[in-house]
Amino acid sequence: MSSDQDHLKQTDTEKRFEFKKEESSAFKAEKGLTEETIRVISEDKDEPQWMLDRRLRALKQFHEMPMPDDWPGAPDLSEVDVDEIVPYIRPDVETRGGVDDWNDLPDEIKDTFDKLGIPEAEKNALSGVGAQYESEVVYQNMQERWEEKGVIFCDMDKAVREHPEILKEYFMTKAVPPSDNKFAALHGAIWSGGSFVYVPEDTTVDMPVQAYFRMNSDGMGQFEHTLIIAEENSEVHYIEGCSAPKYSEFNLHSGGVEVFVKENAHVQYSTVQNWSKNTYNLNTKRAIAEENATMEWVSGSMGSKATMLYPSTILKGRGATDNHITIAFAGEGQNIDTGAKVYHNAPDTKSTIESKSISKDGGRTNYRGLVHISDGAENSSTSVECDALMFDNESTSDTMPYMEIQESKVDVAHEATVGKIGDEDVFYLQSRGLDDDDAKQMIVAGFIEPITEELPIEYAVELNRLIELEMEGSLG
Amino acid sequence: MSTQVHANLTREQVEQISADLDEPEWLTETRVEALEALDDLDMPDVIRTPGRDWTNLHALDFETLVDPLNAAEDKDRVSDEGIEVLEWSEALAEHGDLVEEHFASVVDPEENYLTALSTALFSAGTVIYVPEGVDAEDVKIRTQMNSRSLFNYTLVVTEESSSVTILERQSTGDDVEGERYYSGIVEVVAGENSRVQYGALQNLDEETYNYTLKRGHADTYATVDWIEGNIGSRLTKSSVETYLKGDSSETKTVGAFFGHDDQHIDIAARVWHQGEHTTADLVTRGVLDDQARSVYEGVQDVGTDAWDTSSYQRENTLMLSDESEADASPKLIINNHDTEASHSATVGQVDAQDLFYMTSRGVHPQVAKNMLVEGFFVPVLDEVDVDELRDDLEELVAERLRE
Repeated sequence: MSSDQDHLKQTDTEKRFEFKKEESSAFKAEKGLTEETIRVISEDKDEPQWMLDRRLRALKQFHEMPMPDDWPGAPDLSEVDVDEIVPYIRPDVETRGGVDDWNDLPDEIKDTFDKLGIPEAEKNALSGVGAQYESEVVYQNMQERWEEKGVIFCDMDKAVREHPEILKEYFMTKAVPPSDNKFAALHGAIWSGGSFVYVPEDTTVDMPVQAYFRMNSDGMGQFEHTLIIAEENSEVHYIEGCSAPKYSEFNLHSGGVEVFVKENAHVQYSTVQNWSKNTYNLNTKRAIAEENATMEWVSGSMGSKATMLYPSTILKGRGATDNHITIAFAGEGQNIDTGAKVYHNAPDTKSTIESKSISKDGGRTNYRGLVHISDGAENSSTSVECDALMFDNESTSDTMPYMEIQESKVDVAHEATVGKIGDEDVFYLQSRGLDDDDAKQMIVAGFIEPITEELPIEYAVELNRLIELEMEGSLG
Repeated sequence: MSTQVHANLTREQVEQISADLDEPEWLTETRVEALEALDDLDMPDVIRTPGRDWTNLHALDFETLVDPLNAAEDKDRVSDEGIEVLEWSEALAEHGDLVEEHFASVVDPEENYLTALSTALFSAGTVIYVPEGVDAEDVKIRTQMNSRSLFNYTLVVTEESSSVTILERQSTGDDVEGERYYSGIVEVVAGENSRVQYGALQNLDEETYNYTLKRGHADTYATVDWIEGNIGSRLTKSSVETYLKGDSSETKTVGAFFGHDDQHIDIAARVWHQGEHTTADLVTRGVLDDQARSVYEGVQDVGTDAWDTSSYQRENTLMLSDESEADASPKLIINNHDTEASHSATVGQVDAQDLFYMTSRGVHPQVAKNMLVEGFFVPVLDEVDVDELRDDLEELVAERLRE
């Protein structure tokens, strides 16, 4: 094992996430959500009129749309009162759009990201890094060699100012319109921060780019927007990490992610989410894949009080491929409702969904997924596999797949299993000298291995470490 | 909801139906309560995904479909030694207490709009009573519907260590101008260590809308098995359900459907594991041709106290036409970790290699395809223990393939 991995192994992961900083901000919006709030945020960002108009339109849709609370077994969102959250906090950083040197950050913010290990990772394994603190990106940097090739990696506010034509065309118009669901509409109204990634034709960004999102203040909402456009024959891997310390009030994270994978391009989007256990994590993520394009979603949902997340891919071009890999781990008091959606809208398209969930100490996981094959999407194939592991009788594990098949020349398969952690397996490992905890950890690590295999080694180690912490019951 | 019928239904009509059957007061009251509840009840749940309802029951024009006082049917009941297979008024006269004890104990009349409508208006009914230790076979109930609407009710009660095999068939007789509505509710109360096998073959004409709810309660060591064949009707909304209440109880559901033209077949197989050491096996196979559409929901619900549960579910759909649609949602809801549960679902077409092999042996392509479709049903047909039902189902499949 390399020294980097040792370093990660030795870090006290719990301490890395669970620390709080004094609130110190340059601008903090009032609690609640009114037209006035939106105008104030937009003005503080110095946005063009068209973006303000889109925000106001989304706000109107938000007020008109119902809460997603009539789904069977869905998390209880009754506590989520948007009038109780602080929608926008601009941290006290002079350079809008983020500095490009960690040393230019105020000490408490720099210290935060140091503890999270972001600058260290940047040096070793990443092409570019963005870091968001509260509502704004505070650090953004990419290796020069990518800039020279025309790759853009910047914060969204900057993108609105500098690339208005692209933004007008792609921002919440095609992939995630505000009308998609109530929280997409909320996002459209008060989004702030996030990354814009643009990869030109025939360009392969060989090391991942990463954005890290940190909420520090009590009772705030974070609504970052990520827009990725991968032009023909390009390739990029985007990683997002999320965390927040735990407070008594609820926090709300409602991000929006839009990915455009052009002809023959390849995008991987990986998330390791470790929000504090008072956070409601309600995201909308969607990709549109053109001819022969490949979209891959890798998601690890470890944190949050409640998560509702169903990354979706529209396979629009002939021969497009989608792969979903998802892990959910729900401990005490957590309800992780996650899954995948795939629309096969063209012939010869292919999708695979692999879901692993673990529930423990009264936690609740639910796989909720949709595969839709449209009439005319000949020779499409889809394979869905869901496996759930349960630790105890207080926990719950649900599996709710939906399949809509309107084309006969297809190959559709869905499989799911649920079971407890095998007593025999534990006994075997114990007889080899492992104690009960270590044996169970090893079994869980084996259970999710197909997924950790897909992650860069730093993240795989991180994910395993988080799971170990969960198993020790030492978090939250 | 403008399509609902109850604005035109009266208490007098319901009392009339009850009086014609010479019913006791408690039952008349239950019917009237169900009628009065209609206002506040919703249609049975249907699956919803973003932007669509998989089955739209609100579009049904119940006002023209329901004709409460003119129900007509031909019923043929075949009994076996030692048990009672009684028509409704007879059952009330001879086993009034038994009926009062079990009626509505499994299906709450006010569960949804259609169960309440059925409870208020049913005029055709059968009670099957199997005393302790008696084994009965070849019970048959054939119902031929001869009116605009027919509401049918069936109650099965098996005492300790008894067993019974029941075959129910629905078809349509005399032509009625326009569309019609069939509604059937089946309650099965399976006593300790008893076994009920309930087979149903629905072959209503394709002008008929069909709502059926069959539900059983299985006591300790009891087995409730269902065979559910759906061939006919214009639209079917059917659910076959078992509550495994007693320890070591079991259920097996075998389903088969074949939709063609613009038939809409919405079927569900559901099981609730409540006792310990319970086992469920749900197997469904269906074929779709033309513009037919199928909706399948499977539910395996394992309760907190259901230790040592085994639960399996399989659903396979074969699509013969590009205009057809197959929707499926097999669900697992697991609240006890001491569970081994799995489900699988597939959708596909006739295997091209199989077809090629057979045509290369000189079999005409259409004949080869038909053989493969018949072969597709074999795994479920093999599970059907009732010979008559299996033969009839095979015959109906073959007939449809010849069309």
